[in-house]
Amino acid sequence: MPLHDVGYRAWQGARRGPWSAAAAIATTGIRLVWTSRWLRRAVLLAWSPALAFAASFFAFEQAIDEGRIASLQERAALGRNLDGIGLLGTILADTLGKPGQPDRAEPPRDREAETAATRRLVWSRLLLAFMRAPQAVLLAIVIGLVAPQLVSRDLRAKAWLVYFTRPVGKIHYIAGKIAVLGTVVAAVTVLPALALWLAGVLVSPSVWVIVETWDLPVRIVAASVVLAIPTVLLALAYSSLTAETRIASFAWFATWAACWIAHSSLTTADLVAADDSRATAVAAGSEDDEEWQPPRRRMNWLARAAGIDAGVDRWAWISPYHAVGVVQAWMFGVETRPRAVVPSAVALAIASLGSALVLAWRVAAPLRS
Amino acid sequence: MHDAEPLPVDLDGVVKRYGRRTVLDSVTCEVRPGITGLVGPNGAGKSTLVRAILGLVRLAAGGVRVFGHDPVRVPAVVRQLVGVVPEDECAVPGLAAVEMVRYAGRLSGLPGTEALRRAHEVLDWCDAGQERYRPVETLSIGVRQKVAFAAALVHDPRLLILDEPTNGLDPLERRAMLGRLRTLAHDHGKTVLISTHVLPDVQAVCDRVIVLAAGRVRLAGTIEDLTRPARPRLRLELRGDTAACCARLAAAGIAAERIDAVTLHIPRQDQGGLDRVWQATREAGVVVAALAPVQERFEDVFIAAIAGCREGQHAAS
Repeated sequence: MPLHDVGYRAWQGARRGPWSAAAAIATTGIRLVWTSRWLRRAVLLAWSPALAFAASFFAFEQAIDEGRIASLQERAALGRNLDGIGLLGTILADTLGKPGQPDRAEPPRDREAETAATRRLVWSRLLLAFMRAPQAVLLAIVIGLVAPQLVSRDLRAKAWLVYFTRPVGKIHYIAGKIAVLGTVVAAVTVLPALALWLAGVLVSPSVWVIVETWDLPVRIVAASVVLAIPTVLLALAYSSLTAETRIASFAWFATWAACWIAHSSLTTADLVAADDSRATAVAAGSEDDEEWQPPRRRMNWLARAAGIDAGVDRWAWISPYHAVGVVQAWMFGVETRPRAVVPSAVALAIASLGSALVLAWRVAAPLRS
Repeated sequence: MHDAEPLPVDLDGVVKRYGRRTVLDSVTCEVRPGITGLVGPNGAGKSTLVRAILGLVRLAAGGVRVFGHDPVRVPAVVRQLVGVVPEDECAVPGLAAVEMVRYAGRLSGLPGTEALRRAHEVLDWCDAGQERYRPVETLSIGVRQKVAFAAALVHDPRLLILDEPTNGLDPLERRAMLGRLRTLAHDHGKTVLISTHVLPDVQAVCDRVIVLAAGRVRLAGTIEDLTRPARPRLRLELRGDTAACCARLAAAGIAAERIDAVTLHIPRQDQGGLDRVWQATREAGVVVAALAPVQERFEDVFIAAIAGCREGQHAAS
């Protein structure tokens, strides 16, 4: 008999409510997924773009500190190329060279106010580009590593009996699983973005920058929620549909790839059609051939991610990546046109609702017999 | 006047259908404190009955009460009171055995530290040893069974439901497991419901038995009651000429039934009748090795109970 065997003893302590079960599912789930070496690598990798973006914050604040914003504005107004400083140059050219941006509708009254307004817009665009371009892609990869096993593994191991023979409702089970992915989302998007904002504050000349940009952390969190809700629900819905993790993984990556390809194809088709109609108009002599160029072709991926694109992406709703990006741009105040935002927001809401229904239906399947 | 303590499990006219197939057909029975065996052939509806007790299936008719609570209306309350050892291996891959038991405790509402303490305590009691630190998916079937048992007990339930609890256990472990069940029922006041095919296990530990076949309760009661023959008889074991003894008994007015070369069954006798039996054996020159009331074997009772329904099934098919 083991030394510590005290026999069976009754337990009289107070029990916690069912939400403590959800917390247990979340913490245990996080611990289990964190044992994956690939996930740890991916999360580490997810922080590396923040370094590059931190350099942009530093360069911008340095330009303010050295009083070079005015000269940059003049160059931008003259249409000079600011690409010497990469993405920041493109953002500055767009921000400084185009007065009348949505956030700058009121002309600044003095230089300080102008600097503050410029900073807000530049920081917003940098953060938006950070969240849309590297982080959204990395998040899709990380969720693809984590989510497919969360429910399918329970189905395969018949672990649902572990949960549903105990005082755990399906809502607590789902909440626990969502919390696992929510933590991953936070590790990949929210925390690096908040760190980036903090880095911006630290390299800025004045601590009052916190007051000027206090809403950006809130917008970061809101934009991450917009990113997290549909992606997490969709990934868990796929995971709940099969006991084979690899099938759920394939479905997840296939959805992103297929929707991206569909979006690119439709957008390209639109551009070709616009070119044709333009060529027809030029041939008819009603338009000048010299002035016009398709705006979207001149923008690189990062710049478009920063919201520097005059056109409305009418096919954004078809691709989760692009739809999330449009709504995130709205969250950061970069995109305000309802005709650009509403279709994507509706598409994401429908996808989220559908995924949630599938998830609830599948999780309850063993209980429904 | 105070209310009587509600029964651990009370099933009243429970009907469950999967499509057109009736799996539980007007099942009315009760599980009382102590150890109850739920026995029946494959497909009898045992697992469905267990699920009905947990509120995991929708019933077509009838009701279930667990300590007076309706498991459909208040499943969380019922599942706090119940611990289940499923037949299927169900565990969370990647967790060590002790973590698995702790996780089960936390899912049942135990605080984290307390759940870990209880997990170790119950695993000690189950004699899990150092195996507890290995991932559950790498454990042998016997240790997995212990872990599942510990996970069902960690939150100290009032009712313990076990589906084939001795599956995969060697004889020593099987004996230890049955001993633990006795301890829980008799020393700690737990109600234990064992769903099993293994009739010797049932005979070894169960106070009461429910025989389920084709979705119906065929028999229910204590093993003693169920194995008592309809016609009280005595078993007479002899050494010598059994045929001559039969003839002497017949001459004395006692109808003897020859079972085998050394065994006779005779109707139960009063003292006068017993005197005539002794007289007849003396006259036949045989030695009486044993004289005892006939008890039917539980296995025979079980087979007789399910035979009718099997014949019915064959006729129907």
